[in-house]
Amino acid sequence: MYNLFRFFVRYHLFILFLTLEVFCFLLIFRTKHYNQVAYIGIANSANGKLYSTVRSITDYLYLRRISDSLVTENASLRARLSESKIDNHVDSLRVLDTAGRYTQHFTYITARVIRNSVNQSSNLIFLDRGKLHGLTKQMGVVNANGIVGQVISITDNYAAVMSVLSKDFKVSAKLKKSEYFGNMHWDGVNTTSATMEEIPKHVPVKVGDTVVTSGFSELFPRNIMIGKVRKVNIQPDKNFLDISVDLSTDFGNLNYVYVVKNLKRNEIQTLDSLVVKE
Amino acid sequence: MISQIPINLFRFLLLLMAQVLIFSNAKFSSFINPYIFPLFILLLPFETPRWLMMLIGFFAGLTLDIAVGSAGMHSAACVLIGYLRPFLITVITPKGTEFEISPNVYAQGPTWFAVYLGVTMLVYLTFYFLIEAATFLNFFLLLLKIVTSTIVSVFFMFIFLYLFSSRKKRRFV
Repeated sequence: MYNLFRFFVRYHLFILFLTLEVFCFLLIFRTKHYNQVAYIGIANSANGKLYSTVRSITDYLYLRRISDSLVTENASLRARLSESKIDNHVDSLRVLDTAGRYTQHFTYITARVIRNSVNQSSNLIFLDRGKLHGLTKQMGVVNANGIVGQVISITDNYAAVMSVLSKDFKVSAKLKKSEYFGNMHWDGVNTTSATMEEIPKHVPVKVGDTVVTSGFSELFPRNIMIGKVRKVNIQPDKNFLDISVDLSTDFGNLNYVYVVKNLKRNEIQTLDSLVVKE
Repeated sequence: MISQIPINLFRFLLLLMAQVLIFSNAKFSSFINPYIFPLFILLLPFETPRWLMMLIGFFAGLTLDIAVGSAGMHSAACVLIGYLRPFLITVITPKGTEFEISPNVYAQGPTWFAVYLGVTMLVYLTFYFLIEAATFLNFFLLLLKIVTSTIVSVFFMFIFLYLFSSRKKRRFV
């Protein structure tokens, strides 16, 4: 007993050191799960307020760039209006009733980025929209240039988004030209490039081909821009191509984003659970 | 000794604000993540008891963790350098040197500080990035990230040191 006591006295510093480190690592592993990490960041709204204040000051520096990007986006949207197209439809036998033809599938909620990082191995983006504005977990986030990420945790007024630049982020993507689809995830190194997998070897892929979302996940609508093919590696020992993609979104410069609300999500999930049951 | 508390508290707040609002927000590159916050632990008085240093390191790291949302990673690294600091100081200081109360860039000189900050930041960032990545994949890139971040961190720490150190004459006891 005396020896044990002496041991503790002698190594009390090292024991304290180990205790503290063990505690830290418990904290790390307990919160390794993304949602809780994100929660700590925005849970205390003082933190959120601080970031939005800083953001509202620095926003003035980027006003020019923001308005430029909005004008470009407006122009591209205007080009899609039916007024700017010529109707080539000459089928005179049938009158098309378009009233009941379309139902809304996706709506978009605008949000401002109040905090963003690109240099971690899992990057988070904080938005100034939360539960009160109709956001829920598992919503996709896009901006005018392409996809941005996925909402992973929310409080009343703020939301944390797992950026595409995260080791856990995956999105179902397809090649616009050939319609072949596969998974895409960040390569972990460069803030502008990602890797696309599961494209079979026989598919012709050229550098510069466009990669868009497949619309198979509930997160994003179809044909949202992801990026362009930068390099195609053919490895003799694998059945699939190794495609590196240049991301079209500039993650170092995010100001306003759109959160995608999928109005048919519950229906698809119900269908999913029905399939599992049978 | 009591007079050291407000100085260190002020330094803590200053470094925390600088870290959270400037350095963790600035997007240099994925290879350059400057961390100047550990300077708070490195500038604590020489005579701080070692158990207290580790506890201060733990709580300081936890504050940074909560501010940047990284749960426990900075606390672990801060406790580590709090534990290693006294060993390092005895190793790199020549025998018979008179000490100020706290490390001071005018008293110890830039060479001493370059070694001191270089070694501690190398340990800190290696530990931190290893925890963050939680894998040895891309080992070369990780190494590059650690080295470049250390160099940039030490550079910014020196700027901080020359801005906020008191140019007091060395006391002879």
